[in-house]
Amino acid sequence: MKKSVFILVMLLISGVSFANEAYQKAMKLAIDRLFQTQTIQEYVDVANQFERISTMEKKEWLPLYYASFSYIMISFRETDNAKKDQYLDQAQKYLDQAMSIEPNESELLMLQGFLYPSRINIDPINRGMALMGKMNAALEKALELNPDNPRVYYLRATMTANMPEAFGGGAAKALPLYQKAAEKFELFKPKSEIHPNWGKDINATDLQKIQK
Amino acid sequence: MRSIISIILLFLSSASLFAQVQLTGKVTDTKNNPLPGANVFIQNSYDGATTDSLGNFSFKTSLKGIQDLSASFIGYKPFNQKVDLEAAKTISINIHLEESEDQLDEVVVNAGTFEASDEKKAVVLRVFDIATTPSAQGDIFGAFGTLPGVQKVGEDGRVFVRGGEGYETKTFMDGMLVSSPYTSKMPDMPTRGRFSPLLFSGTLFSTGAYSAEYGQALSSIVDMKTNSIETEEKSSISVMTVGLMGSTTQCGKNSSLSLSGDLLSSALSNKINKQQVDWIKAPLTADATIMFRQKTGKTGMYKLFGTFNTTSSEMLYPNIQADAIQDLTLGSSNIYLNNTYNSALGEKWMLKSGLAWNYDHQNMKIDNDRITTDQKMVQAKIGFSYFMNEQTELKFGSDWVNFSYEQKIDMNGNYRLPFSNNELSGFAEMEYKPSRKLATRIGLRAENSSLLNETTIVPRFSGAYKTGKHSQVSLACGEFYQNPENDYLKFAPQLKPEKASHAVMTWQYQTEKQTFRVEGYLKKYDQLVKYTAPLATNQLDYSNSGSGKARGIDVFWRDKQSLKNTDYWISYSWIDAERNYKDYSEMAVPSFVSEHNLSLVFKRFLPALNTYASATYSFASSRPYHDPNFSGFMNAQTKAYNDISLSLTYMLNFFGKQAALHLMLNNLAGFDNIYGYNFATTPNTEGKYESSPIRSPFVRQAILLINIML
Repeated sequence: MKKSVFILVMLLISGVSFANEAYQKAMKLAIDRLFQTQTIQEYVDVANQFERISTMEKKEWLPLYYASFSYIMISFRETDNAKKDQYLDQAQKYLDQAMSIEPNESELLMLQGFLYPSRINIDPINRGMALMGKMNAALEKALELNPDNPRVYYLRATMTANMPEAFGGGAAKALPLYQKAAEKFELFKPKSEIHPNWGKDINATDLQKIQK
Repeated sequence: MRSIISIILLFLSSASLFAQVQLTGKVTDTKNNPLPGANVFIQNSYDGATTDSLGNFSFKTSLKGIQDLSASFIGYKPFNQKVDLEAAKTISINIHLEESEDQLDEVVVNAGTFEASDEKKAVVLRVFDIATTPSAQGDIFGAFGTLPGVQKVGEDGRVFVRGGEGYETKTFMDGMLVSSPYTSKMPDMPTRGRFSPLLFSGTLFSTGAYSAEYGQALSSIVDMKTNSIETEEKSSISVMTVGLMGSTTQCGKNSSLSLSGDLLSSALSNKINKQQVDWIKAPLTADATIMFRQKTGKTGMYKLFGTFNTTSSEMLYPNIQADAIQDLTLGSSNIYLNNTYNSALGEKWMLKSGLAWNYDHQNMKIDNDRITTDQKMVQAKIGFSYFMNEQTELKFGSDWVNFSYEQKIDMNGNYRLPFSNNELSGFAEMEYKPSRKLATRIGLRAENSSLLNETTIVPRFSGAYKTGKHSQVSLACGEFYQNPENDYLKFAPQLKPEKASHAVMTWQYQTEKQTFRVEGYLKKYDQLVKYTAPLATNQLDYSNSGSGKARGIDVFWRDKQSLKNTDYWISYSWIDAERNYKDYSEMAVPSFVSEHNLSLVFKRFLPALNTYASATYSFASSRPYHDPNFSGFMNAQTKAYNDISLSLTYMLNFFGKQAALHLMLNNLAGFDNIYGYNFATTPNTEGKYESSPIRSPFVRQAILLINIML
C-alpha cells in the first residue's frame, strides 16, 4: 500500500517535471536555433516556434521575450520601411504581453530599449527626439531593476559608438562603455539555461573593432 | 522503482509516437496568393510549423480528439478552426487569411481635414513638421498657412480659410473651446497663437464641412491634442535673441507634471532687424504653463492644462484716418484653464468630458483715450461614444458655454458696452462603415443662444469611398452657424447668427511616403453682418443682410521618398470668392482674398553638417483694396506677395549637454510686401485722399536660439 502511494506521488511529480522538462527542452532547442539564424525567413520560423510555446505557457515571459527579440532582429534585416514598422509592431505586441506577465523584469525593459533604435532608424528626423528619450527611460529602468544587466551596458555602448560626436557620441566615448559591458558580461550568470544570455560575443567583437 | 517510472514514461512517449497525425495544407490570402512565413499550430501545444515559400505547411502532432487549429501572420487576422485529430491519419486543410485593418489601407472620413499626429499613421503631417516650418516662426497657426485653402493675410496672423474671415476659424484644445487663442494685437500687425507647438501631440485642422461635434465656426476648426503622460523626466532652457525659455517635466507612477515659462522681449531683436514700426516700448511677454496628467484606473485619463500670459507694448501709429500720429499702449493678460477626463465605460462605451475657463483682459490706450475689454468664458462639455458593432459608432454629447463681455471706453465721456450669452448645444453623429471601402457619417447639431434668442439645427454629412489600395474619394457637406463678432454684438445684440453652407469633394492618394490630394469646394454665406459705417454705435445700423460665396480648388502634394534625406510639400489654392458684408456697397472680392496661393516647404537633413535645414517659399497673388480716389468699389490691387524663409537647426554638444542651435531667417530676399492701404477719411487740399501702405513690422528678420537639455 505504502509503496503504491509512493509510486503514485512520484509519478505525479515526474509528470509535472516532465511537462516542465518539455518546456525547457523546447525553449532550449528554439534558442539554439535563434542564435544560429541568419535570414528573415529563418527568424520568422523561429519566432513562430516561440509564439507556439507562448500560447501553451501562458505564465512564462521568456517565449514572448524571444519572439519579440526575433522580430527586432528581422527589422534590422528588412529594407522596406513600411514592413519594418509592421515587424516592430509585432515585436512590441509580444513585448507588451511579456511585460503584463512580468512588469518588473530588467531584461524586458532592456529589450524595449533595444527596439526603439530600429524604430528611430526608419524616420530619424521625425522620431529621433521623442524615441531617444523613451529609449533612455527604458534603459534607466532596466538598470534600476538589475544594475548588473550586461546587455544594457552593451546597448549603451553601441548607441554611443553610432552617435555623432556632436551629440556626445563617437568611438572615444564608447570605448570605456564597451569595456564596462565586457566586465559585466564576465560576471553575468543567467538564472537558467533559457534565460537571456546573449551579447557577450558581439560586445567583444565591437570592442575589438573600436580599439583598432 | 526507477524502472517502473521509466517504463511508464517509455510507454507514454511511445504510445504518443504511435498515434501521431500529420497535418498538411496551404495558407493563402483571400485572393489565393500564398503566404510564406505564416504560423500554423495547434492551440495549447508546441506542435506547429511555419509555411514555406509556397505557403505550404506540414507537421505532426500526437494530440488527440478535437483541437483548435490556429494560423497567424503579420498584417492578417488570426484564424481558428476546430479539427478532429482522430478523423484520419493525414489531415489536409487549406487556410485563407483575411487582411487585418491596416490604418493606411482603411477608408477614412477626411474631406476638408488636415490632421497632424504622431500616433496615427494615416495623416499628412507630423507635429515636428509644424514646429519646424520656417515661415511659421514656431507658430501653430502660421504653419497652417502652408496648407492649401489658407490665405496669406500678413497684417492679421489669424487663419483665413477659403474665403472666410479670421474669426471664422475656432480653436479647441482636447475638444474644449479656447475663446482667445491669439495674442492681443496692435493695428495692422500680425498676431500669433498663444501656445507652443511642442505642447501638442496632434492637431486636427479642418478647412470645411467638419463633424457635428464642433459648432460656432463658419469656416474652419483647429483642434489641438495635448501631450499624453510624459514618461521621461527632463528639463531644458533656451536662450534666444528674443528672450529666455525654460521647462521641466517630473514623472510619477501614473502621472506627470510639466512646467514651462518664458520671458520674451523683442527689444534686442528689433535693433537687429530693421523695423518699419516706430516702437516706444518693444513688445514684452511673459508666459507660464502647467500641464498635469493622471491615469485613473485602466482606461481613465485626467488632463489639466493651465496657462497664464501677459504682454505689453507701446508704439507710435501714423493713423491716416484720424490724420494724427497716435501713441498706442497695449497691455493684456490671459488665463486659460482646461480640464478633461476621458475613460472607457465598459467595452462599448467611451466618456469624454471637460471643463474650461478663459479670462482675457485687454487694455488699449490711444493717446489719452482708453479702451478696456474683459472677456470671460466657461465651458462644460460631455460626450459619449457607443460602439454598437464593428461597423457602427454612435457619438453624442452636449456642451454649454457661458460667455460674458464688457468693454469700457473712456473717450470724451465714459461708455460701457457689456453683453453675455449662454450657448447650449447638443450633437449626435453616427459613423457607419458597411465595408472597409465605404464609410459614412451623418450628424446633427442644435445650438441655442440666450443672447440672440435663437435656436438653430443643422445637418452634417460626410462619406468616403476607397477607389484603390491607396486612393479614396470623399464628400462632405453641412451647414454652420456662428454668432456675430463681439465687436458687433456689443452694439447690436438683436443680430442673428451668421450662416455658411459647405460642400467639399476630395480625391486623395496616400502611401507611407507620398500624399497627393485635390479638393474642390463650394461655400455659401448668408445672414452676414452689414453695417452703415465702421464703429457705428446705433444698433439699427447693423443688420444680417449680408451674403457671400466662395468656390475653389486646393491641391496638396507631399513627397518624402524621391529625394534622399529630403521631404517637401507643395500647396496650391485657387479661389473665387465674393462678399457683400460690413459696409461694402456691393458684392466684391474681399480685401483678404488672393486668387492664387502657393507654398513650397522643403526640409532636408544634412548629415555631414549635423544640420537640419528647412526652407519655405510662399506666393500670393494680388489682393483687392478700395481706393477712394477712383470710381467704383474695390477698384485697386496690391502687388503680389512673396516670401522666402529659412531655418537651420544644428545639433551640438554644449559643455557635455545635448543642445540644438536654431537660426530662423524670414523674408531672406527682402521683398517689400504690401498687404493693403489705409486711406484718409477726407481729401487733402488738392482733393486727393492720402494713403499709407500696410506693411510687415520688419523687412527681414533673424532669430537665433540655443536650446540646452539639462
